[in-house]
Amino acid sequence: MVELSTPAKWALRLVAVAYVFFLVGWPVINLAQRTFADGWTAFVQTFQDPDVTHALLVTVEVSLWAVAINTVFGVGMALLLVRYEFPGKRLLSALIDLPMSVSPVVIGLALLLVYNGRDGWFGPWLESRGITVIFSSPGMVMATCFVALPLVVREVVPVLEEVGDDQEQAARSLGGNAVQVLRRITLPSIKWAVVYGVVLSLARSLGEFGALKIVSGNLTGRTQTAPLVVEQKYTNFSPDEAYALSFVLVLISVLCIVVVSALRPKESSE
Amino acid sequence: MSIEISNVTKRFGDFVALDDVSVSLPTGQLTALLGPSGGGKSTLLRIVAGLEKADTGRVTIEGVDATRMSPQKRNVGFVFQHYAVFKHMSVAKNVAFGLEIRRKNKDEVRARVDELLKLVHLTQFADRLPSQLSGGQRQRMALARALAVQPKVLLLDEPFGALDAKVRKELREWLRRLHDEVPVTTVFVTHDQEEAMEVADEIVVINDGRIEQVGRPDQLYDRPANDFVMGFLGDVTQLGEVRLRPHDIEIALTPDLAGSVPGDVLRLTRIGFEVRLVVGTEDGREVSVVTTRAHARSLELDAGDRVWITPSSGASTVPAMKSLLAG
Repeated sequence: MVELSTPAKWALRLVAVAYVFFLVGWPVINLAQRTFADGWTAFVQTFQDPDVTHALLVTVEVSLWAVAINTVFGVGMALLLVRYEFPGKRLLSALIDLPMSVSPVVIGLALLLVYNGRDGWFGPWLESRGITVIFSSPGMVMATCFVALPLVVREVVPVLEEVGDDQEQAARSLGGNAVQVLRRITLPSIKWAVVYGVVLSLARSLGEFGALKIVSGNLTGRTQTAPLVVEQKYTNFSPDEAYALSFVLVLISVLCIVVVSALRPKESSE
Repeated sequence: MSIEISNVTKRFGDFVALDDVSVSLPTGQLTALLGPSGGGKSTLLRIVAGLEKADTGRVTIEGVDATRMSPQKRNVGFVFQHYAVFKHMSVAKNVAFGLEIRRKNKDEVRARVDELLKLVHLTQFADRLPSQLSGGQRQRMALARALAVQPKVLLLDEPFGALDAKVRKELREWLRRLHDEVPVTTVFVTHDQEEAMEVADEIVVINDGRIEQVGRPDQLYDRPANDFVMGFLGDVTQLGEVRLRPHDIEIALTPDLAGSVPGDVLRLTRIGFEVRLVVGTEDGREVSVVTTRAHARSLELDAGDRVWITPSSGASTVPAMKSLLAG
């Protein structure tokens, strides 16, 4: 650790706090203020709108599916990347990071190209078997999975590397088969990384906008999700409803973070 | 014969870890695989355990061909250098792991775990987490865990390598006693010749992916097959055309013994009960000599003295081939 003089320490703290405050804190506080500017009336009114409640339900449903799928595949991918050597491993690793660097709108367009029912590459074939991907839940779950793909993998990979495979080898030499070793040794040792990954994915999924706007078709009362409603309300000159819904979305994210830090064991007892 | 290893070769890329190795490790004994780091001894042990696959060759454990068997089917207990404890489980749960995997009934598991914890003196730590144990205690727990499943063979990979000198010494004495109590065929890897000599019934010296010599500790020390074994098992010095151990050189103030060589004491160091001398002979070589403190005192040896040195009768020697070539 670098030793700093007391004034320098305080100056640095001030800069850090001010940075976070002006970038994150103040806007969020303003959002809350704006939501409750006239008391609860606007807030209650917003959630009496069936389109809003439906959008919230759609958001939660799509997010839960995406998180569940991402958790299973994320842990699997992380195990593959850390524990096995195979050709194309670096390419796979790079592809997993792709959603971080590509705009979600582009992801939405790409999915549209492949899966749309009229002239998509794969869409008509699926549609002829009764599976509609675009403008319906499967496409929305896929788009959400895509944007949140790296979050679980990148949380779990460093922990798997740090834990090493000693314990797994010991368990195998004691007679454990692959499933027993995974369930009794590997998963318990990466438990917290998975929890963080899940929470991050959930927060990311709840807030997804760009990819979903394209893939869902933004059909009010059907495929519209909460962030899409926020945008619609805002552009349609009902900012109060937009603020109220935004506040709820922020609240859910904050709750996620609070729950995890409450559940998290103290570092010292590890 | 318990473990038969025949013509095993293992490469990691261009590096040849094991080069056509064949050896048999006897039942019920404590065998040490001894050699320098990177010599292939750990690889050999891991191939026996099934944690590594040989490129070619065969491994037979108790008459069963295990070459292609997965580690969980081999019934082998393995102890790792860095313990490989299950961090999220209590000590008792760690020891019970292999038994629970085998779906033994609860009472049976508890009785066996109690018995093993007693054996490794960890009864009062049963409910602790491994992070609350010292290194020595963790390794004893790992041993109990490996023994719990009553393995046909117990394999230990540098088991005391990560421990400090005192605990190391205690644990190896304890391992020796444990083996006398529970005589399961045991193979352990070490690069510490003292550890191997003290604990093992038989030593396999491995260097550069090849086996240099197999034998009982005395045999290896007294009749080393070659220069490498001699050098690895103890200090070596050169006197005339032979290489021998510094304590196998007689030192005198007069040229009474046949074949004695004159020289001057260049340096003299006292370490505990022994005295180490460096004697410069007339051919310009420096010869190390170790003698007892009492002997050095009776001769009143000091730096600068003229002495006559002779290989003692019955000294184990090898011809000084390597240094002639090198020199």
